[in-house]
This record gives sequence, structure tokens and C-alpha cells, in this order.
Amino acid sequence: MTAPAPVPAPPPAPRVPPTPRVVPAARRAPGIRRQLPTSPWLFAAPGLLIAGGFALYPFVSTLVNSLTDRRVLLPGRFVGLANYRELLHDDMFWTGLRNSVLYVVGVVPALVVLPLLLALLVRRHIPGVAFFRSAFYTPVVASVVVVGLIWVWLLDERGLVNSLLEAAGAGRVGFLSDPWLLLLSAMAVTVWKGLGYYMIIYLAALANVPRELHEAAAVDGAGPVRRFLSVTVPAVRSTMVLVAALSSVAAFKVFSEVYLMAGPSGGPAGEDTTLVMLVQRTGTGLTGRVGYASALSVVVFAVTVALMLLVLRADRREET
Amino acid sequence: MSVLDRPSHRPGTRPPAEPPAARRRRITDTGGRRVRPAELVLRYLLLLIVLALTVGPFLWQLSTSLKSPTEDIYGSPPSFLPRHPTLRNYERVADTVPVWDYALNSLKVAGASVVTNCVGSALAGYALARLRYPGRRAATLVFVLAMLVPVEGIFIAQFTTMRELGLNNTLVGVVLPGSVGAMNVLLMRNAFRNLPYEIEEAARVDGANAWQRFTRIALPAVRGTLAVVAIFSFMGAWDDFLWPLIVLSDPSRFTLTIGLNYLHGTFANDERLVAAGTVVAVAPLIALFACLQRYFFRGVGEGAVKG
Amino acid sequence: MRISRAILTTAAVALLLPLSACGSGGDGGGAGGSDASGKPEGEITFQTWNLRANFTPYFEKVVADFEKKYPGTHVKWIDQPAEGYADKISADAAGGTLPDVVNVSPDLVAPLAGAGLALDLDKAAGQYRSEYLAGAWASHEVPGRHGTYAFPWYLNTGPLFYNKSLFKKAGLDPDAPPKTYDDLFSDALRMAERSGGKVATLANVPTVEDFGRYGVPLMNKAGDGFAFNDPKGVELLTKYKQLYDAKALDPQALTATPESTGKKFLTGAVAMNPGSALDLGNFKKQAPSLYRNIGITDQITSTGHANMYVMGVMVNSRTRHTPAAVAFAHFVTDASNQMAFAKQVAIFPSTAGSLDDPYFTEDDGSDETRVRVAAAKSLKTAVNYTPVLFSEQMKTALRNQVAKALQGKESPEAALDNAVRECDTLLKQQG
Repeated sequence: MTAPAPVPAPPPAPRVPPTPRVVPAARRAPGIRRQLPTSPWLFAAPGLLIAGGFALYPFVSTLVNSLTDRRVLLPGRFVGLANYRELLHDDMFWTGLRNSVLYVVGVVPALVVLPLLLALLVRRHIPGVAFFRSAFYTPVVASVVVVGLIWVWLLDERGLVNSLLEAAGAGRVGFLSDPWLLLLSAMAVTVWKGLGYYMIIYLAALANVPRELHEAAAVDGAGPVRRFLSVTVPAVRSTMVLVAALSSVAAFKVFSEVYLMAGPSGGPAGEDTTLVMLVQRTGTGLTGRVGYASALSVVVFAVTVALMLLVLRADRREET
Repeated sequence: MSVLDRPSHRPGTRPPAEPPAARRRRITDTGGRRVRPAELVLRYLLLLIVLALTVGPFLWQLSTSLKSPTEDIYGSPPSFLPRHPTLRNYERVADTVPVWDYALNSLKVAGASVVTNCVGSALAGYALARLRYPGRRAATLVFVLAMLVPVEGIFIAQFTTMRELGLNNTLVGVVLPGSVGAMNVLLMRNAFRNLPYEIEEAARVDGANAWQRFTRIALPAVRGTLAVVAIFSFMGAWDDFLWPLIVLSDPSRFTLTIGLNYLHGTFANDERLVAAGTVVAVAPLIALFACLQRYFFRGVGEGAVKG
Repeated sequence: MRISRAILTTAAVALLLPLSACGSGGDGGGAGGSDASGKPEGEITFQTWNLRANFTPYFEKVVADFEKKYPGTHVKWIDQPAEGYADKISADAAGGTLPDVVNVSPDLVAPLAGAGLALDLDKAAGQYRSEYLAGAWASHEVPGRHGTYAFPWYLNTGPLFYNKSLFKKAGLDPDAPPKTYDDLFSDALRMAERSGGKVATLANVPTVEDFGRYGVPLMNKAGDGFAFNDPKGVELLTKYKQLYDAKALDPQALTATPESTGKKFLTGAVAMNPGSALDLGNFKKQAPSLYRNIGITDQITSTGHANMYVMGVMVNSRTRHTPAAVAFAHFVTDASNQMAFAKQVAIFPSTAGSLDDPYFTEDDGSDETRVRVAAAKSLKTAVNYTPVLFSEQMKTALRNQVAKALQGKESPEAALDNAVRECDTLLKQQG
């Protein structure tokens, strides 16, 4: 492919230290300019092929399918926008949309704020902090299926949490039977699993906040809360936007946590069904309605794109 | 926000993640400021609370998996430590599922995924961040959109493609769709973009071509981000269930996640056994992360994931 | 006629599935045809569903015996885990990689037959029909389509287990468990009342088979629409609503899974649970104190016919080795192999006469034998209530509507009307 070019004795390529520093001009050797035609497309090709072949191309067929009444095993006919019209009259679609939106509303603020606080907590290099950082990351490393199993076992009516509640004199709580508590529990698990991930992102950003700013504020007599609001938050604002964008897209597409905790039919009377669960339920299995599920997928896709744009736009407006 | 101005990496300060603290009488933070004892106590208290919340559930699972069949696991108040710790549950997992064979398959899949993701997303990320060519924005858009596609609806189409390629029922088929994750490409792009351009510009003036600049200058500077990508792709490949299940038919090629599903399907009532299965599934990931965490946190320091 | 239809469907599927136009794996569709009369030879694949954990030696022996009986054949046995089986089969069916012989349940057979992927055994293997119980053979017929699309394999049914000590605590006679629905409902209400709502008697919301067992007609006579919203159905759901309000039906029933209800019974939160002989061993191991107090009684029905579950073995209509595939599907379901399987695990053979074997008729006094003998007896008249055409999506629709009625968000009538309407729509869409 792109074999290293036979360039005569490459100029003393600067050995790059972990922190790149600008190479002093004096060290530049007068190199021979023999630019080889290394096409950028060659660099991007493997990634583009995979993204195109296994995400975009299937999605194009999803778009096409959404205009047909195809079933998993039976061919479909072109039905125009009938699937989309049916969506509008499907109660389950509205339930799913409501839950997915609620999920975004419930999870995103928590995932924007809590990991930032956590990052501030593990930021200082006090003894043992490396251990804590790694430990806080464990839930991110574990697969969502395992996390689901663990929490179902913890929140079960006879599980640890309820045993503790009962031992403390409080009654048992039906975390997994009440539709609203179920949705809340699933959100809590999503937040629990995402804490470490976003904490890391914030740690990276905090590394860039010049300490002088904090010190200046401290000298001015600002307390920790004021310093947090007037120094830290503005400094990591762009990161907060990124976290908001990533977590809202993920939250809107939530599937596993709710599926594992509320069951395949989506909790009591399907009230905890999310949109992606509905895609899975209607479109898979031998009797799956590929056409209808495809229309749902297209809606999910459109909303996530819109969410992404909305977050970025809000960011731009705030900046100006 | 200058990238160069990163206190933690400034020469003369201690590297992060290694607090040689035992002998120091005064606890100071990175800037050398002293931390007040009251604040320190508060910090540790908070750290311990969060620790209990994040790691506690895993320990509870571990404890459940070590409890013997005669011990009541539903009792209230709960017993946190197994009264008669036993590895019997793990033996039964191994009797039911060829754990080692499946773990080896998982390792192959996850290892291959790490390699392809590191190589593929570094290349593509570099192209998106550095190389000027027409269509760069379109290429970036491809990855952003690919990241947004809901995967739950497309696996049959993916499987059909895989069969056309003759790769169904192979481990290659398992790896391929996730071999260059769009998210990873974007992470690498950000990492490369955050590097100062001057050195590469200098090298370019000196006649280094894109490939040389990539391998000798840019890549070594983003090793940490590569560690992040490595962990993400290892996790993703190791944890996946539905796609390997769809692609593979030959039991000798099954991955560990599929194998462990036999436990859940066959012994769903036996909480101890299921717990042992989850421990088997998670332990390698935690071990891997423990080994790589230093690189990982450094990678994060490089600003790979900044906006 | 049927074959040409299969080819047409296959071709249409191939054209519609992106990139699958060359259809190489399908070998032109129906290459093997339905002619099973040749000599069985060649390599075939046999896929089972969640059986490897416990029965690997059994299947290895069956395969070895078959290969010995028919030299020149080679059988590759694969097993899939419990989860995702329908997804696995649908991807294989759509991609043309379905194994030659596949373990299916009736609800999986129907769509596969509809797509022309299941071999009609009335034609290809009609001579074996008499070897099986008539009811079992018929369970793989698909309404609206001629033919039978899988060999019947193992059957299962089981008694109702109950917790004697909970019965005693509630002032109920632990040796007189409910025999009729009326008894059941009044005992359950009493249990809830005496325990202050702490102990429920039932843990599952009614499913389509419960409606069937209660004597509700499930489908109309023509088999093209559902009918469980008749007065009898409404009556059952109304009863369940009373139980739910009194906490005699477990509050978590709306989100229950078979595993979770099993666990509830084990932990004494629920007083009764349907099960099979298989569960007895489980109780013994996991909850020894419960095991001593366990009572066993017959399934309650209004029809006199217990419910049974049927597993089948289907032959892929596109197999390259029809004779070998049919021969193997018959072999694995024949009387001696089913009998051997039944002795390994608590299932029941679907072959005619097998249930008269002393193994299923002679009570040696142990609980396990008692359960087995009673189940075998009830199987002679048992019915698979779940309609073959009742898909996963329909189950969810019914479940959700039932939940709405229990929560009081819909009246039982309205909920069942809605469920029937949704299921009818889904049925039409299945084509």
C-alpha cells in the first residue's frame, strides 16, 4: 500500500517528546523536496470503506426499505409514506418517543455535571488518587449486559438494595415493577456507567485550565463555589458541550439498559419502551416488519442528527 | 488554551498517576500548594463514597459467585462476605462452557479489533486532521453519520453483505464491521488536530512526505489516544453478543459472550452461577485496563477527546 | 406448484436483499427438491436450541448412530444459545445459510413455511406420519397453508407446584390445593388477605395459552382472525384484575419473566408456580427448605385438556441433501431416540405408544416419578393452545393490553378488543 518511500537519509526527524515542542529552526536540515504522491484518500480508505460498507450502505437500504412493506422473510412492495403515516397513529411510537426524550432530559444534565465534579475530585494528586481514578472507570469497562445483570440482581425485590432498605427500616421498593421507577432506575444505571467515561474527558479538559486563573480568583476572595462557576465552568464550557452532544445522542438511542431491566416488552404495558427498543421489537425475529422498523430507524436517525445540531447551535449562540 | 501549557506535563513537576506519597509529610497538589487536612479528609471521604458506589456492585457480584449452594443469598440483612467461600460455581461454569476455547476466540477477535482500529482510525484520523484535499469535509461527514446510524435495524443487511463476502461463520466476519469505528476515527482526528502544526510543517519543508510525517512525528505524539482507542475497541469486541451470534454458526468459533449466554439460558435460576459467569466475562477487561491505565490516562491528557 | 412458489419467493427475497442477488448459498433455490426418496448421503448440519449445556454426549451419540446406520452421511451438530435464536434463524434464512435440519418451535415454523423454506413433510415424509401422536404431528400445520412443516420432537407439560407452608399460614388446607379456576381465585384472594398482601399466589399475567386453558376460543373458525375477546376471555381478565388489585397476583407480574417468577417461588414470595419435573431437581438443590414443603397438583383447566409445549425438527427446503436431511430429522425424532432423550431429562416423546412405556406409567413413589407419570397421562389429551400463527409481536401486544387492563387504564373488554385488533393487523401483515 503506502510503503515508506525511499527517501534519501531522512532529515534528522525530530524525536518527539511526549509534549511536542517546536523544533529549533537551526536543526532543520536542508531536505530534498521529493514529495511522494501519498494520496490522503489512501489514508482514509480503510476507515471510509468500513463506515460506508457497514453503516451507511445498510442505512441507505434502511431508507429504501422504509418505503416498502417488507418483512424479514418476505419481499415487500413500494408503499410510499404509508409506514410513516402509520407511525403517527401508533401509540407505542409516541410512548417510545416520550421515553427516549425523557431519557435525554433525565440523563444528559447528570452526565454533564456529575462527571465534572468527579473530575475535580480526582484531579489533585493526593496519594492513591490513581487507584481511585481507575476504580471509577470500572463500570465503563464492564459490558452493558453484565452491568444489566448486576443491577437487576441488586434492585430485585429481594436484592441487596431492598435488603438494605428493609434493614434500615424502610419498606421494600418496587424498582423493577413500577414503570416510572423502572425508567428512573435505568437512567441511574446509564449515569452510573457513564460517570467514569465523561470524568476522563473532563480531566483532559481541566488539565488545560491555567492554574493562575484559580489562584487569581482565590486571591480575590472567591469561595470554592464561586471559583467553580466563574473559573472552571467557563474554561471547560466547550467540553461540556461535547459531553452534552455525545451523551444526548447516546441517551436518545438507549436500548440495552432499558431492555435488560424492563424486559423485551418494555416494562408494564410496554410503558418503558424506547424508540430503539421499538425498532428491535417490530423489525426482528422471523415475523419482523422490516419496512415499518426501517421507518422508525429513519426517525431515530433524523432526531439524533437534529439533537447534535441543536446542541452545537446552542453552543454557538452562547459564544456570541 | 495553549496545548503547550499543560501543568501536569511541565518538566519539573511530578508525572501524574505516581504519587510517591508515603514518605511525604505534607500533602501537596500538582502546583505544590499545600492541601489543608480538613479538605483532605473531606476529599477522601467523598472518594470512598464514590468508590463504594462504582466498585461495590462488582464486589457484591464477586461475593455472590463465591457463595456455596447452601448459603442463603436472598437474606436480609444481607451477608456481604461468603461464609464458606468456594470455587465450585466457577468449576460448574467451566464444565458447562469451554471457557478457555471461547476466551481464546474472544481474545483473537478483540486483539484483531484493537489492531485494525488503531491502524485504521489513526490513518483516517490523520487524513481528516492534517491532509488538505478536496472532499475532506465530506469524508468527515461520513464518519459522523456512521456514528449516528442506529445499528439495531441493520444487522440483517450487514449479515447479507458478510455472506456475499464469504465471511460468514469466520472470526474475520465478526471483526470486520467494527474494525474501524467511526467514533475512534473522530477521536484520532481530534488528537491530531490538537498537536501543534509547526513541527510537521517544518518536516514538510524538509521534504518529509505525508507518510513519514505521520509515522515519525504525529503518531508517536498521540500514543495515549491510541491507548484509548485500543481499550474502547477491545471492550467493544469483547462485549458484543448479537453480531457474533449472527455471524458464527460453528460452536468451535464461538466467543465468550455467546458461551456465557448458555449459562443464563440454562441456569437462570442459579444466581451464583450467573454471577460467576459475569465475573469471568468482566475480569479480563478489568485486568487489561489495570495494565493499560497509565497510558490511558496519559492519552486523555493529550486532549484526544476535547471539543 | 409449491416448489415453484418456493423458487419465486426465494428469488424475490434474493432480489430484495441488497447485494444478495447472486444467491450463491441458495444453489438456485430448492435444488434438493422435496424428493426424499434417494439414498441418504452427504454432509448435513443439524441445529438445536440451547441444548449443549446439558446434553452434549446424547447428541454426539445420536449423530454417531446415524452415521453408522447410513454410511456416506456426515452430520455436523451445532447448538445455539437461548437468547437471540429467532434473530439468528432470520438472518440465516434471509442470507440463505439456514442449516439443513433445524430445531424449531411451531411459531418459528409458520413464517419459515410461509417463505417456502420449510419442507412439506406430508409430501416428503408422509410415510412416517403414523409413528407420531396425531396431535403432535398436527402441531406443525400452518393455518391457511397445506402441509406439515416439521417432525414433532419432544413435548413438555407439567404440574402446578405450590408452597404448602404458605398455604398453611393462610389457613388453607395444604393437602387440598385448588382444582378449578374458582377455587384458585378464592384461595388466592384469601392468601393475599391473610398475608396482608405480602404473599401472592400467581406470578404471571395471563398469556394466550391461559386464555385457551380457560376455554376461550382463540381464533375464529376460518383461522384468519383472533377471537379471544369473547365474553369468556373478558371474564378471565376481569378475574385477574381482581387478583391484581388484591395483590393476589404479584405486583411485579407485569414485568415478570419465567426466570423471575421461578425465583419468586423459590424465595417464598409467591405460593404457586407452573413448572415441570425439571424444576424439582432445582428446588431440591437451591431451596432445600422449600423442597420439603412443596405440593404438586395438576394444571388447572376448564377444558379438561392440559397445555403442552411442542418442539419440532424442520428440514430446510433448500438443502442439497434432502434424503439425508429427512432421514436424520426422522432419526432424531424416532421412538427410540426420543425415549433415550426422555430418560436424560424431563421431557416427553411425541411418538405414538412411547407414553405407554412403564417409564411413564409406573409410579415408584418418588416425587419425580409421580410428576412424570401424571404429566405423561395428561399429555395424551393435552393441547398446544398457543396458535401457530401467534408471533412474538402478537405476544407483546396481548401482554401490553392485558397489563393495561390490570392497571385499570382500560376495561378488560376494551383491552382485549384492542389486543385482537392489533393481532389481526399483524396477522394480515404476515401475509
